[in-house]
Amino acid sequence: MSGHGEKSNVNKNYVNKSDKTGLVFFPAFDWAITPTHPEREERLLYTRDQIFEEGIMDLPGIREYKPRLAAYKDIARTHFCVPGVKDQVTEAHLISAGGTLVMADALMAGEIRNGFAMVRPPGHHAMKVVHGNRGFCNINNEAIMVDYLRSNYGIRKIAVVDTDVHHGDGTQDIFYHDPDILFISFHQDGRTLFPGSGFSNEAGGPAAYGRNLNIPLPPGTTDEGIHYVLDNLILPVLQEFEPELVINSAGQDNHYTDPLANMKFTTQGYARLNEKLKPDIAVLEGGYAIETALPYLNTGIILAMAGMDYSNVVEPDYKPGMLTMSQEKMTRVTELVEEARFVWDNRNSREIEVMRAKKDFFQRQKQIFYDTDGINEYQVEKLRLCADCGGYLSIASQAFPYHGAEKNILALSVPFNGCSRCREEAYGEYDQGKKKKIYEYVYFQDRVSDTCLGWSRANNTEWEE
Amino acid sequence: MYVGIDVGGTYTDAVLMEGRTVIRKKKTPTRHENLLSSLLEALDGVLEGVKVSEIRRVVLSTTLVTNIIAEKKYPPVALVIIPGPGLSHSEYRFDTLTRILAGAIDYRGRELVPVNKEEIISAGNDIEEKGYTHIAVAGKFSCRNNSHEKFIKEVLEKNNPGALVEMSHTVSGRLNFPRRIATTVLTAATKEVFFGFIRDVSGALKNRGITAPSFILKADGGTIPLDSGRMMPVETIFSGPAASALGAMALSPEGQTSVVVDIGGTTTDLALILAGEPMMASKGALVDRFLTQVESFSVKSVPLGGDSVVTVINGKIEILPKREGPPYCLGGKEPTPTDALRYLDRVEAGDKARAEAIIEKLAGEAGISPGETAAEVVKRAGQIIVSAIEQMFISWEQEPAYRIWELMQRKKIRPNNVVGVGGAARGLIPGVAETMGCRAIVPEHAEVANALGAAVAQPTVTANVRIDTEHGIYTVAEDGKSGTVPKGRMFREEDAVKLARDCLFKRAEDLKIKEYVKKVEVVHSEVFNMVRGWTTTGKIYDITVQTPRDILFYIEQEGSDSVWSWGKK
Repeated sequence: MSGHGEKSNVNKNYVNKSDKTGLVFFPAFDWAITPTHPEREERLLYTRDQIFEEGIMDLPGIREYKPRLAAYKDIARTHFCVPGVKDQVTEAHLISAGGTLVMADALMAGEIRNGFAMVRPPGHHAMKVVHGNRGFCNINNEAIMVDYLRSNYGIRKIAVVDTDVHHGDGTQDIFYHDPDILFISFHQDGRTLFPGSGFSNEAGGPAAYGRNLNIPLPPGTTDEGIHYVLDNLILPVLQEFEPELVINSAGQDNHYTDPLANMKFTTQGYARLNEKLKPDIAVLEGGYAIETALPYLNTGIILAMAGMDYSNVVEPDYKPGMLTMSQEKMTRVTELVEEARFVWDNRNSREIEVMRAKKDFFQRQKQIFYDTDGINEYQVEKLRLCADCGGYLSIASQAFPYHGAEKNILALSVPFNGCSRCREEAYGEYDQGKKKKIYEYVYFQDRVSDTCLGWSRANNTEWEE
Repeated sequence: MYVGIDVGGTYTDAVLMEGRTVIRKKKTPTRHENLLSSLLEALDGVLEGVKVSEIRRVVLSTTLVTNIIAEKKYPPVALVIIPGPGLSHSEYRFDTLTRILAGAIDYRGRELVPVNKEEIISAGNDIEEKGYTHIAVAGKFSCRNNSHEKFIKEVLEKNNPGALVEMSHTVSGRLNFPRRIATTVLTAATKEVFFGFIRDVSGALKNRGITAPSFILKADGGTIPLDSGRMMPVETIFSGPAASALGAMALSPEGQTSVVVDIGGTTTDLALILAGEPMMASKGALVDRFLTQVESFSVKSVPLGGDSVVTVINGKIEILPKREGPPYCLGGKEPTPTDALRYLDRVEAGDKARAEAIIEKLAGEAGISPGETAAEVVKRAGQIIVSAIEQMFISWEQEPAYRIWELMQRKKIRPNNVVGVGGAARGLIPGVAETMGCRAIVPEHAEVANALGAAVAQPTVTANVRIDTEHGIYTVAEDGKSGTVPKGRMFREEDAVKLARDCLFKRAEDLKIKEYVKKVEVVHSEVFNMVRGWTTTGKIYDITVQTPRDILFYIEQEGSDSVWSWGKK
């Protein structure tokens, strides 16, 4: 078994001698989706009370940072916001995303050894194309931070482990064709919970097969089950992937008291998970047991990340032995680990070469539902099967809101390692797209030159985010 | 007439004011072994021939508690804490007899685990056996529910007759358990000596026939009557810097943004006046080695003073962050910024010939002319001050914000004025102000700025009230008081604001300063809808009301030779 020792899970190519854990605490006490929505002002109120009363911010191993506003460019580097970034984000979103960037900068400057961005609104359901809010998310904080780290610091390989109870479908969508980003999500089985996806066969596109691992756990999975997944799948896979950084997409709704899900994870289980996973940066995602779980979970995670004793952080009603799972469920967990392990072991099967011999593009169709805003989106996604780079991506998207007119857009994205041919072809398609009357907006995202363009048919203007 | 007295670390100053004019001032060395006599000497110095019946107010600022703590002249304090779940209990290291008791309260003041009477009695016996008579009791979240602390105090007082028990919720009602513990220990430790001193001062004032209201200055720049029993000794601990900042504020233009630079012998203290209001530190003060809940001005201390040692390193003139006795021109051994200022005739004190001798020696080492050397020393000192001021603004901008509007509002602010007080101010401040593009102000009476600050300080009251309408309770952070409110929707935001104002007036009454409360401003107000199972079950209001942070008046600058002079108002 690996992962239990002092050896780090990551392959760092820089020296970080700091002994501090960075914290950005941005509870957005003046932002809510609606007054009674789970994602409301009250959500981190008791967490604040707990961490302030514990005196966490005064601990010698903790350094608190103030968040900043992310730039529109930081968002446009990751997302295609329709019609533009400013139409999809509020100040709260910019600060939440900016909070993660502050942690990224502090980590890269060696000021902190690891960091936790306790920010809201959350982000992991936001996909590459953004027509509105889904799963309480507009923009994907982790993905924006990952692309920022790659663009600004030349980091190449990053692993994102999504520990939220809901499938991190947005993060999966954004990195689906990206072989440098390993995305692992364990969550409550999609047949029983929003967003309904996240099965073992969603394993990554042809250029990134096996770099997307899903573990859809049965409802009622306990600490034992989740730590089995961690010890037997996540930690060994991380060791083999050798990422430069590990990100925890740290949802807290696997907790046994969460009102929106049905799992049996505890504060001690979450804290131990972070102790073993050793994320470089954790970013808060969901978690709606605002009184019974969040104050304790956040305290536990902070202490675990700071290398402090967290054994006294327990829920008031918790009694050892009160949470158990059946043998059948445990068997199912072991099967799920085997399925994911099989995908991982076959990640280099090179089926892409067979595909490439037959065709120039890999194409798939997707239907996406925006539960919060009530939008149905249909996408045709095409990936250039390129031998020299990850291949550019073309997304034709049609969105139908409950109210208002449908929207048609075309979006082109060149990967960080894009070759000159892909860049030229993608730009050509962008230019061609402007001539096709169906598209109201056409976007071009070139991560090689860090250029993000948008074009509007209505006023025939191009802008740079 | 108004009297202000500052018993500082080195000097004790007093001023007597008639309206907005300083009519007498007195400076005398502080005798640490007898602070009262220093205080009275300064007081008597300004009162000579004055009709005491005309004195309308006396305010004093004293270093007493600082001394008690620094010199550890206090009785040992035993600590009884109820930490409950959370941080490991081994983290609570307060270097004194500490007993950890069972019991727990949560963030909304709900009891999770009751306290155990037998355990309290046993802890009390142990404390008594070990010879402690002073006990500090602190429970996590006691500011949300103080029943455990009250019960423990009751049991201890009954079983340990003569024990003096201090409860943390009465010391500070703000969140931060470790800081509340430290503040409670320091309160328990200093209370007797402090109140003894206050009694002596009150007696001495009475002996002189002074019946005017008398106050003591707190670290937050507010004052509290000497006869108020609700005074917290530790709150007076950093009143010196507060006095200096208030004094500088009174001597500079009203309503502007200024940096106050107090240049002493060893250090320079910086404070900020933002649009006419002194800036408070976002966190409680560090006292001795303890982080406390004591509210104070945001003060930054820089190791640069008139007596700092000047040297030449690799041909460059540098000022070292240390003092090795007085300046050369005042009989010392080493060159200092004061010598450079004396050389340039920017200060009068000191032997000019000695200053010339030492600057010439320095010039030889640096390989430049004496005039250039002196100018370089002044320039270097100015650079150190400017960069410290810049740093202070940057750290203010980087302080955490938890709301969108706070983050959006914190704009880049830079001062209009640099106000200098202290011996070397006149020589150094113009350069500093010029570099920063500000106006230099070195006011008249700057040498007694602390006593002036005390004279113009006003009583202030704050009440931070948290109301939980689901539970139907409220708590006041400043004094740990609590009470009930109607549950549910009957209680509205206007009721919450009214309750907060009532709490403020009640507190003002307890502090015996009710007649000074004229205007109350709501400085912070937030409401949280509490939703359980998709319906609103209550609201949490967090409201802070306070009296305006203002001074009694700004001071007339007559015949001032300051760089900037006050126009008649």
